[in-house]
Amino acid sequence: MMSEEEGRSQTLQLFATCLIDLFRPQAAMAAVDVMERRGATVEFPTAQTCCGQFSYNAGYHREAADLARHWVAVFDAALRRDSQARVIALSGSCAAMVIREYPSLLYHDALDRGDSVDEAERWQERAERVGKRVIEFTEWLAHEATAELPTSGIGVTYHNGCHMRRMLGITSVPETVLQSHGFSIVPMEEADQCCGFGGTYSMTEWPVSTAIADQKLQALGKSREMGAQCLTSADFGCLAHLSGRLSRRRDPFPVVYIAELIALADRGPVTVEAVQQMAQHKEEG
Amino acid sequence: MDGQLPIDTRPWPVRRDAALHDQTMQQTIGVVTKRLANAKVTAYAAYPEANHWRQRAVEVKRQSIRQLEEHLATFTQQVESHGGKVHRATTAADAIQTILEVAQHHQVRSVIKTKSMVTEELELNRALENAGIAVRETDLGEYIIQLAHEKPSHILAPALHKNREQIHALFDQDALVYHTEPPASEDIVALTQYARRRLREEFLAADMGVTGGNFLVAETGTVVLITNEGNADMVTTLPRLLVSVVGVEKIVADWSGLIDVIQQPALSGVGQRLSSYTTLVSGTRGPDQWEGPDEWHVVLLDNGRTQLKDTPFEDVLSCIRCGACLNVCPVFRQVGGHAYGSVYPGPIGIVETPLLTNFEVLPELPSALCTLCHACGEACPMNIDLPGHIVQLRQMKQERHMNAIGVTRSYRWWARFWATPHGYRRSMRWARWGQWWFVRHGRIQSAPGLAGGWFKTRDMPPVASMTFHEWWDRTRGKRQ
Ligand code: SF4
Repeated sequence: MMSEEEGRSQTLQLFATCLIDLFRPQAAMAAVDVMERRGATVEFPTAQTCCGQFSYNAGYHREAADLARHWVAVFDAALRRDSQARVIALSGSCAAMVIREYPSLLYHDALDRGDSVDEAERWQERAERVGKRVIEFTEWLAHEATAELPTSGIGVTYHNGCHMRRMLGITSVPETVLQSHGFSIVPMEEADQCCGFGGTYSMTEWPVSTAIADQKLQALGKSREMGAQCLTSADFGCLAHLSGRLSRRRDPFPVVYIAELIALADRGPVTVEAVQQMAQHKEEG
Repeated sequence: MDGQLPIDTRPWPVRRDAALHDQTMQQTIGVVTKRLANAKVTAYAAYPEANHWRQRAVEVKRQSIRQLEEHLATFTQQVESHGGKVHRATTAADAIQTILEVAQHHQVRSVIKTKSMVTEELELNRALENAGIAVRETDLGEYIIQLAHEKPSHILAPALHKNREQIHALFDQDALVYHTEPPASEDIVALTQYARRRLREEFLAADMGVTGGNFLVAETGTVVLITNEGNADMVTTLPRLLVSVVGVEKIVADWSGLIDVIQQPALSGVGQRLSSYTTLVSGTRGPDQWEGPDEWHVVLLDNGRTQLKDTPFEDVLSCIRCGACLNVCPVFRQVGGHAYGSVYPGPIGIVETPLLTNFEVLPELPSALCTLCHACGEACPMNIDLPGHIVQLRQMKQERHMNAIGVTRSYRWWARFWATPHGYRRSMRWARWGQWWFVRHGRIQSAPGLAGGWFKTRDMPPVASMTFHEWWDRTRGKRQ
């Protein structure tokens, strides 16, 4: 499974995202495992924090720009050390924030702070330069030569996060990746519908957000009837929302981040019990 | 000048809860919006040049708006050379005054109308009724809404939230009032036949017709109406007096522009290549003509529109009211149109309501009714940057200090801590220490402050006892 066509291993700078860092570190550990198994050298710029999307989407652009400038500085420095290195984002939504929103956010914020147009353009250009080297995890994985793994017959239903789908245009890639790792895909009805998360929208407008989540869980119910044994996504934010809702409804249906499934398949034949165990991982109080 | 829009004065939580508890409405809205959205996708898939024409239409609309005043001047000149009279109305109140004056001058006692969002924006029916003039809506959906004493819940399909059973009940009641035969059954044909029969009487009796307008053609001074029922043909030809009320942004330069755009509302709205009827009004009835009104007034409404010109929001004026953005919106699918409290619901309503009124009314819309899923941006045939505008409006609210101070402080502190690695780690340690007050059965089940809303209906795992940062430091840190 080693892919070292260029004779040297590629360097990947991991952007773990704050949600995974704090609430599901196993997801990032699994991603590191997957990348290293494919011969990559993984680095983790430890000064990274959060991309600022929560603040940006809520209209707090000055606050978001503070976080964005920090993010750009951290990854720009990391990328400078190796002209071939890429940034691997463990979230389609955060990747979209960096790639699609940072350049204009930093440009306008610089002007708002009274910087010169030159200075504003420099920030924009820097954000664009770093953004070009950001790639979402499953999209990176799809380009890696992976031997087709034998089918495990585990039925997986996949939630395509809105920003990954609409802002990055990644639609079927993660499902293809899952399939080539032996999982069978169970379709989800109205798969392009939002899960209702919306960052802090889930907090400030919880009644509507929950109603949308419940609609998604209804669709999930149908996927379960059709044989889905687990729910996954390339966006942990959506998964945290849906699994948080399932948990409140005392529904133990397994929810796992996509890299965890891939890492499991890498290690050998996957069983339903292994998936359930992974999903249930709980912190001891 | 800022526009004026009528609103539902109930506060948002009341409107929201009313919607979330109305299961019949939620179900009907869910089914119909999905059907319309799917019809659009199917129609595009079956029509290879669809995107080419759509792109042409976008260019025509953008270009027309750029030269708005010139085109309006040409339009006015043309209409007036064909016997019509053009009135410019800066605000809703101006438009109402103009229309009432026309009606009163002719001692109008009854009015028939085509479906028109602009007249909803003016609350024209109420103004006419207050002046003692009877009004009858002749679009089937509008007619249903009128019988129910409600407002449209969707810009294209006003009675979208009503199911057949409810419509049947309304018609039954109407039949009692007018001593006429009720619909034979609840099926669509019977209901439509009932409406046809009833409306025909009203068409013949009316003194004045009122229309909206989907497009205005400057070159010829034409008001273009598209319908699926043909009622506009009758409204524009039967009464001797005709008033057309149209937003200024509906202008296109010429016929070739019209050809480029005319397909779009039905294509994206209901997945039909063209609406069933296209009605053109170009002037009063001439001596050698057998059709058309004796007198025709065109009211061109601004009501806050032109102040969007030359701003980042100018593309909003390209809206063709197809409703595609409503049909795909997850929030609209849950709460329906009435919960927005504005005549313009859905993503376009979220954007237009504060923009037209300069945040005077319903300032909660951009924040409270959008998850920023970007489905509307993907669906809009006119490439209007709806999600981008919603984010921008949220920022404007924040700059104008329209958010609760506690919320603003939360975001400030959040950014202050998380903009440095040190602050990030410190806040994480605090969270880990503080969270155990809120953990039950290994999950966080409540929280103070901004995050509290999450835990009303959802759990969250606690902050990990070893975060990824810490794991990396411990296992890999030394290697670097
Ligand atoms: S904003 Fe776009 S999608 Fe929505 S009604 Fe207007 S034209 Fe249609």
